Amino acid sequence: MKSIEELERIKEETLQEIRLRSASGSPRIVVGMGTCGIAAGARDTMLAVLDELRKRKKLDVTVTETGCIGLCSQEPIVTVEIPGEPEVVYGKVDPDKARQIVVSHIINHKPVEEWVINVEEQML
Amino acid sequence: MVDLSLHLLDLLQNSAHAGARTVKVDILESLEHDLLQVTVSDDGKGISSDERERILDPFYTSSDRKHVGLGLPLVAQAAELAGGSLSIEDSELGGACVVVNYKLNHPDRQPLGDIVATFVSFLAGNPDLRVLFTYCGPNGVYHFDTNSIWDDIGEDSRNQLIFLGKVEEELTQGLYSAGYRPDRGGLVL
Repeated sequence: MKSIEELERIKEETLQEIRLRSASGSPRIVVGMGTCGIAAGARDTMLAVLDELRKRKKLDVTVTETGCIGLCSQEPIVTVEIPGEPEVVYGKVDPDKARQIVVSHIINHKPVEEWVINVEEQML
Repeated sequence: MVDLSLHLLDLLQNSAHAGARTVKVDILESLEHDLLQVTVSDDGKGISSDERERILDPFYTSSDRKHVGLGLPLVAQAAELAGGSLSIEDSELGGACVVVNYKLNHPDRQPLGDIVATFVSFLAGNPDLRVLFTYCGPNGVYHFDTNSIWDDIGEDSRNQLIFLGKVEEELTQGLYSAGYRPDRGGLVL
């Protein structure tokens, strides 16, 4: 449990971050949260993404969800969209992988190649 | 789905995809009536009477991108295994209302699971949606409203992660003081 003072401090830090960043061009992380995603553990994946972003004070990243995209066997699926870079889709993302994706891809701009799935190939 | 909070997340996603702006969730635990009732009611586009007849068929879906729709059938199955049922009604909010009943003490009733994680992860993807939640637990009644969380934060610091942090804090405190326990299943040893 956090104290009021701690919450106030967090609020101030966040305000600082918001002032620093520009409104446009922020990265997006999309977690698949259809029935298949949820059953495969997408909720914990989502919470890990949020926690890692908070820990690293990456408050300019938008986290959102999508339904089933037809690749149920690859769930939990996480898509990373950084403006000006190709969209990357990751498969079977457990909370550990999610944290590493945040650090490597979002913060250091290095996609984690071994977990990337080729959507068109998978759809065949 | 290993617990009821995951089923709840699925029902919440259904509401969001039906275009709901407000979702009302009620969880009632009644020892007296041996009842655990989960109700999800929304102002989305609703479910027609035609669809209601087919909606529990796993091979029926409203989506044109896939061929199965397992969400509601899985919720109904878990309820039936626990001596309960699932029913679909019109919501007073204008959309659909899904009522799921379980026998509270049925040996096959799944535990509630992490309700806090369910709401936090749902609101991460749907921050503009208003969630009204009431939990009637063994120790009392707890009301939650995302609007009061937003009021707390104030217009100028509306950030997703701050909001979700407050949601987590508030829900954890309220639920546990009302007697919520994530791991309490139907099987009393």
